[in-house]
Amino acid sequence: MNFAIKNQFSLKHAAPFIALIGLILLGSLVNPHFLSYSNLIQNVATRSSFIAIIAIGATFVMAGGGLDLSVGSMAAFTAGTMILFLTANEQDAGAGIIALSMLLALAVGLACGLFNGLVITLGRIEPFIATLGSMVILRSLFTYLANGGSLSISPALKEIYAPVYEGSFLGIPIPLLSILGVGAVAAVLLYKTPFGRHVIAVGSNEDVARYSGVSLSRVKVLTYMIQGLCVGVAVILYVPRLGSANSATGLYWELQAITAVVVGGTLLKGGQGRIWGTIAGAFFLEIIGNILTLSNVNVYLIGAVQGVIIIIAMLIQRGINRR
Amino acid sequence: MSPDQSNPMKENQGLVAFQLSKAFGENLVLQDVSLIFQRGKVHAVIGENGAGKSTLMKILGGYQLPSSGTLALDGKVLHFTGPKEAEALGIVLVHQEILLAPHLTVAENIFLGRELRIGPFVDDETMNAKASALLSNLGSSLDPRARVENLTIANRQIAQIARALSGRHDFIIFDEPTAALTPVESEAVFTVIQNLKDQNCGIIYISHKLDEVKRLADTVSVLRDGKLVAQQPANKLKAVDMAHLMVGRELGALYPPKVIRTNSEVALQVENLIVPPSLNNANFVLHKGEILGFAGLIGAGRTELFEGLLGLRPATGRVSLGDKFNSVFSSVAAAAKAGLAYVTEDRKGKGLLLNLELTPNLTLSTLQQFTNAGFIQHRLELAALDVAFSRYDIRAKSHDLDAGRLSGGNQQKLLLAKTLQADPSIIIIDEPTRGVDIGAKKQIYELIASLARSGKSIIVISSEMPELIGLCHRIVVMHRSQLVGTLEGSDINERKIVTLATGTEKQAA
Amino acid sequence: MKRRNFGYAAAAMVAIATGAKAEDKPVVIGVSIPAADHGWTGGVVYHAQRIAKAIEANYKGVKVIVKTSPDGAAQASALEDLTTQGITALVVLPHNSDELTNPLKKVKAKGVFITVVDRALSDPTINDLYVAGNNPALGKVAGDYMKANLGKADIVIIRGLPIVIDEQRQKGFADAIKGSDIKVLDSQFGNWSRDDAFKVMQDYLTKYPKIDAVWCQDDDMAVGVLEAIKQAKRTDIKMVIGGAGMKEMIKKVADGDKLMPINVLYPPAMIGTALELTAAGLVNKIPVRGSYILDATLVTKDNAAEFYFPDSSF
Repeated sequence: MNFAIKNQFSLKHAAPFIALIGLILLGSLVNPHFLSYSNLIQNVATRSSFIAIIAIGATFVMAGGGLDLSVGSMAAFTAGTMILFLTANEQDAGAGIIALSMLLALAVGLACGLFNGLVITLGRIEPFIATLGSMVILRSLFTYLANGGSLSISPALKEIYAPVYEGSFLGIPIPLLSILGVGAVAAVLLYKTPFGRHVIAVGSNEDVARYSGVSLSRVKVLTYMIQGLCVGVAVILYVPRLGSANSATGLYWELQAITAVVVGGTLLKGGQGRIWGTIAGAFFLEIIGNILTLSNVNVYLIGAVQGVIIIIAMLIQRGINRR
Repeated sequence: MSPDQSNPMKENQGLVAFQLSKAFGENLVLQDVSLIFQRGKVHAVIGENGAGKSTLMKILGGYQLPSSGTLALDGKVLHFTGPKEAEALGIVLVHQEILLAPHLTVAENIFLGRELRIGPFVDDETMNAKASALLSNLGSSLDPRARVENLTIANRQIAQIARALSGRHDFIIFDEPTAALTPVESEAVFTVIQNLKDQNCGIIYISHKLDEVKRLADTVSVLRDGKLVAQQPANKLKAVDMAHLMVGRELGALYPPKVIRTNSEVALQVENLIVPPSLNNANFVLHKGEILGFAGLIGAGRTELFEGLLGLRPATGRVSLGDKFNSVFSSVAAAAKAGLAYVTEDRKGKGLLLNLELTPNLTLSTLQQFTNAGFIQHRLELAALDVAFSRYDIRAKSHDLDAGRLSGGNQQKLLLAKTLQADPSIIIIDEPTRGVDIGAKKQIYELIASLARSGKSIIVISSEMPELIGLCHRIVVMHRSQLVGTLEGSDINERKIVTLATGTEKQAA
Repeated sequence: MKRRNFGYAAAAMVAIATGAKAEDKPVVIGVSIPAADHGWTGGVVYHAQRIAKAIEANYKGVKVIVKTSPDGAAQASALEDLTTQGITALVVLPHNSDELTNPLKKVKAKGVFITVVDRALSDPTINDLYVAGNNPALGKVAGDYMKANLGKADIVIIRGLPIVIDEQRQKGFADAIKGSDIKVLDSQFGNWSRDDAFKVMQDYLTKYPKIDAVWCQDDDMAVGVLEAIKQAKRTDIKMVIGGAGMKEMIKKVADGDKLMPINVLYPPAMIGTALELTAAGLVNKIPVRGSYILDATLVTKDNAAEFYFPDSSF
């Protein structure tokens, strides 16, 4: 993280953005349609919003030295609760009900985050195990809510709600605006408030933070709650896209979010957090997938190429950091 | 004993450094240093932090290459590309930090990475036997099967020395081997060094503790600002002369004059403080403007006492700050609110965020002072850092360095600055000068005395007796989880402290 | 797609409790199926439970224990638990053939009647009864329909996961369109997931300015495909053909949706077929041993009502 203004423009901090630009250049070589507004902005940036926003939350958790594996299941559970609420209030279908369901999504995410945070701090359970537990619990609760299948909102409701994913303001899709908005708030919170500084301190060295009078439990619980809130925001954008959630919803999102955070320059071991890097990381991952579909790579090798590109990006970043 | 300038490489036996220089960028940290280290002698290298000692040691140990100059061993010019080559020639460096795997045994640590095997299997029996021989050769009876995590710091240091000496060892470089040890514990290390000297090893000894240097060394070389400024037989130098040579000016008295206290107002009273299992029932008072010392061996429970008081460990007891008694503080934050601050002995592990810059370290405990409407004002933080730099004489190449890049003395000053940022009325300082050079030491003593003069109440916990004797109005001595006595006035002397601290009071009386 | 599931432990306890009530050697049928990890398996669970109840109601003294397992290893342990409870027959939809062939061999050695559903074992002598949908035919029926109705056309394909079922469907489809004027522009994996199919379809739409039809072999993925087309406001696509008979898609066919004229059945209810046959064989002593391959029925506007189960989760 950077405290000095002049550091803000150093090569080290620019690494994720350089990687992103490199990838975009590669994409423009692969397919002429790649560098179009409809592909890059309307499709790719928009659909990366779930992972980007969840990864912003994960930046707090990981900067504080924690880990949250439950975000994918949490997204499915939150989406399930939201859809059930919308379906139950179908007769009053309208903007009011949708706004209320959004608040519900935020509240459910917040509650899940609080649960994770308390299990980790009061229960003194390793974040890996604690959130692995809630990952299984929330996934199972979703399956229960959906009776093993999928949950959908009615076409009428979807019609009203759809603009939240499909709409745009001044040509910028609403999900992309949401990423930027959440990112701005998160950056201020992490870089400009005592709480954010405490997150970095806890992730850097718990003992030092404790001896300096920082409440470890409070800081940690809050990071998991922020993560939960971000999942809530992501779900608010996810539900209007297909109007449904099923057991594949949120699958492997935790891994994608963690990858985005690390590609964005935040250390897995904590003590440092890069909000804008994380967002670049999320774009990076989504663009790899996009380029590979647009190119003519053998379909069986797509995974391998994806992995190689991520590793190359990380190697370049480490190379820059070592200088 | 300067090397023969005409043909230094060929004609001198031993390890010869000739006109070594080392530059990092434009920063010249070592300039034209020439030294000869002989077998069977202890050669001490002293100097302030930043004088170039560690760079010299790293070059000798093969960890760094000199920018110019030559190394030679018994007339043969050396070209190291890494520490392995130096070790193969019998030049080993014993690091200051203890670099052992805590969950492994002493023998397993000694042979880590070069395990003896029978076929594909580890040969524990032989390794234990060899480790045992190695340790007894050093004059230690340490059990090679003991796990490192269960050892005292002194024994860990011994294990570390044994590890360094498990291969060939003609020249051994000790980098402040007693930095973390009490005087009593240090004796074990001195025995080891004496044994090695008797076995005709050349010892290169680096320390801040000038009395140790005086006692152990045959020759003393003094570095200042990267240059060799003096070299003399140890028996011709007094500790105070060494200090003068190191700082290059008259130091004056190391300890500021003690101010007679006139105020008998009680600042802090502690009753029946129990910190299981490290402390039984402690009672003491601290007066306003007083410097109260806490002496004792490592493990006597000094640090634990104050960590319990401040809510860093489970503890019970009654604490009063003037009017009424309360139970112990629930957290550091609660203690800070009441005006208590604690400076940890473990600067790197518990005091500073080494991977972060100086400002976030300085302001971590007091961020509220630097906010406006809930947002941190970086401008205010930078201003505070400027003030701290000048007030505490913190020296760093730039303001946006990571804290871990500062020298020990500057780190300690930063830690003190961080603690004092909250303007506490009671300050508890655990090992105020551990790993700090003589110049910074003097500054820290002056700071402590001036804080007391301005009406603050101060507790100093220290393993260095001269420090306690030089600074404190009263000294509480601890032995095995108990407060065993309080010394005052003319009773404050080394003999009394030692008898109380070692529990030999009865025999002595 | 594999996920551990604590629900399995709870299910086991319920199963033990009900099993303990059995008296005077009743017929006990164990059912071991994958947990609901996507829409189709969700349908399997739904129909298994529905038919289990119906069998217990229709056949006196028959007990049915349904167990779901999140992955192959868990299913192997579930099989051991079921055997310990003393089952007469086992209806199993194995996670995968290789991992479960040996565990099932052991169950067979205890004299249990074995019915395998959908995924064939490496050793076909283990099963007494085999009930399956017709994977190659699922591809073939879709391919035949496109061949007959499209003429010269450019199409894209979204496949499931690289496993045998996917391969068989793919081959059936490829054989069917052989010799026609249909050109396959692209074929990528959508992991039988709505979200992944949505992404792949978005990228197809970017990559190819003109697409005549989409074959995505599974109705879950069809949901994502339809949404991507709708959001892109593309009008060149004439048809999207999924498969498996998800209720929402059957309804679209019944309602005469232009984009989705047909569906090809690969019904999760086949678990019910297997259960009914097993129970009938055991109780009524009629010969049932053998292989039953269900048709990949073509669902059109005319017959859609027959295959519409609004209460099913799939």
